[in-house]
Amino acid sequence: MVRPVPGGPEVAVEVREGASGGAVLSLSGALDVHSAAGARRAIAARLAEKALRLVEVDASGIEHGDASGMVILYELAQGRFTPGTRPSVHGLRPELEKLLAAFPPPALAEGAHDRPKPLSVPVEVGAAAIGLGRDVVEVIRFLGRLTLALGSILRRPRSLRVGELARVFEKAGANAFGIVSLISLLTGLIIAFEAAQPLKQFGAQIFIANMIGLVMVRELGPIMTAIVFAGRSGSAFAAELGTMKVNEELDALRTMGLDPARFLVIQRVLAGTLAMPLLTAYSMAMGILGGVIVTRLMGFPLALIWRQLSSALGLKDILFGLIKAVVFGTVVAGLGCYQGMHTRQGPSAVGDSATRAVVASILMIIVVDAVFSVVAYLLHV
Amino acid sequence: MSAPPGAQVIAVEDLTIGYGERVVQQSLRFEVRRGEVFVILGGSGCGKSTLLKVMIGLVPPLQGRILFEGVDMVSAQGPERLALLRKFGVMYQSGALFGSMTLLENVRLPLDEFTRLELEERHLVALTKLNQVGLLEAARRMPSELSGGMQKRAGIARAMALDPGILFLDEPSAGLDPITSAGLDRLIRDLSRSFGITFVVVTHELQSIFAIADRCIMLDAKRKTIIAEGKPAELRDRSPDPTVRQFFRRQAAPEEEARAG
Repeated sequence: MVRPVPGGPEVAVEVREGASGGAVLSLSGALDVHSAAGARRAIAARLAEKALRLVEVDASGIEHGDASGMVILYELAQGRFTPGTRPSVHGLRPELEKLLAAFPPPALAEGAHDRPKPLSVPVEVGAAAIGLGRDVVEVIRFLGRLTLALGSILRRPRSLRVGELARVFEKAGANAFGIVSLISLLTGLIIAFEAAQPLKQFGAQIFIANMIGLVMVRELGPIMTAIVFAGRSGSAFAAELGTMKVNEELDALRTMGLDPARFLVIQRVLAGTLAMPLLTAYSMAMGILGGVIVTRLMGFPLALIWRQLSSALGLKDILFGLIKAVVFGTVVAGLGCYQGMHTRQGPSAVGDSATRAVVASILMIIVVDAVFSVVAYLLHV
Repeated sequence: MSAPPGAQVIAVEDLTIGYGERVVQQSLRFEVRRGEVFVILGGSGCGKSTLLKVMIGLVPPLQGRILFEGVDMVSAQGPERLALLRKFGVMYQSGALFGSMTLLENVRLPLDEFTRLELEERHLVALTKLNQVGLLEAARRMPSELSGGMQKRAGIARAMALDPGILFLDEPSAGLDPITSAGLDRLIRDLSRSFGITFVVVTHELQSIFAIADRCIMLDAKRKTIIAEGKPAELRDRSPDPTVRQFFRRQAAPEEEARAG
């Protein structure tokens, strides 16, 4: 009475009455990764059909098998199909017997697949607080190291790797021209268009020029550029140094007696500090150009626009914006390098560092900007 | 596992490998037989690892065919290719374990994706594979917590998850100490003897070659082809080719010797 098993045509399952009164389950065919799932269903179905106590499994008919198939025999032998009894398995071919013998003892198999329990909320909060404290200490230590490296370069200017500085400057500065121009020009255009309607109600459209000038020079020029810089270069610094750390290149530098802060970080921070004001000046000009285009389209003559701009903007406004840009550049490049140098181990570590660099940079840009605004207000600048 | 031991399982025919214009090896012709440990050896940079990558279908060859039980790996597409991929497992040089998963989850992954077994059964099979490579106790650990030798053994366990008939191993002894390396050699022999798995191993580790290889081929970077084929001991003692004898006797090439002397 050998019936093919639905879904697993290669194994046949049969239950008959044995000599000692119990049932004998015989399996034949191929019990492997393809037929195992079907075999399990068939065995459960046959055992349910006959209300006999299973005492024996006759495996002599199994011609071919693998570990995924033997797991069914293992489960049979452990009594998982027949609560209360453990049938004996016999007749298995020697090579399959070896496969079956490789299964771990049940005691060792239990619980081996549990993942470590997640931490409780208070423990996580505590760990996060301790981590934050450590981060602050680490940032201060990093700043100290950077200052020392800068000092050593000032004493011996030839130890600055000018080639590396130029390479980073080109990548982080010059190559960002396109995106900075586009974003700044469009920002100028958008603000001018948005301001046109409300100002028109008061007949004050010409003041669009004043507003664009002030907004782009004092605030949006530096901030937009800094955010682009954080996304393009801060993340790149973090990923670059992070990969070097994972590849033990930073360790190699240290054992050669070279300080990574002097060898890698200073170049990047200097490049950021130099590139940001230049990019920002460019961004200011492009933003104003956007505003000028809009006011020109409204019919105002260029000479009038120019007079409005020069009356609204002073040298101190431009300097204010550029000094902010210098600070943003230093902060973003420094944070990128800091995150890169503190990359952890593991496949996602470099990605995490790049993310942290960008998030921390954008946060710090806003914080630093707020500080600048308060100071400027107090000093009437 | 249908073919009897000794039957041909892989046939490489007129294979030329390389990248773009650069030919690394050409006119490669050899066969791998069921149940044997077949070693591809040669000096650094001769193209051993490239040959392995071509054989497992990661890199297309410039010319030629690779037949797995008569089916060509190079031209296979879609379901036919998937069926071919199921015939073998690969252990990569670094283990290539997924760092975000425990060892057990690493080994279970192919079972999760390609079988209809229940979770408990997949656990059992994965644990069995880890047991076979001696890593049962480490099942819950993450790959980053393991030594290099353990990572490689776990790589073998994952390669065996679906019981393929053929295992490709890329430099199993690279970066391991002699004791760990010898342990890995014994594991390869045990798996080969007990379970009839066919091994294709890329290595240049002499002791390993003598310990595991049934047969080997030797590639040469200068002549860009196979310069020897046979049992390692016979090649060491009887090869007419001085390069082959030097390799097996671990001697420096004549010009390097002259420079050193």
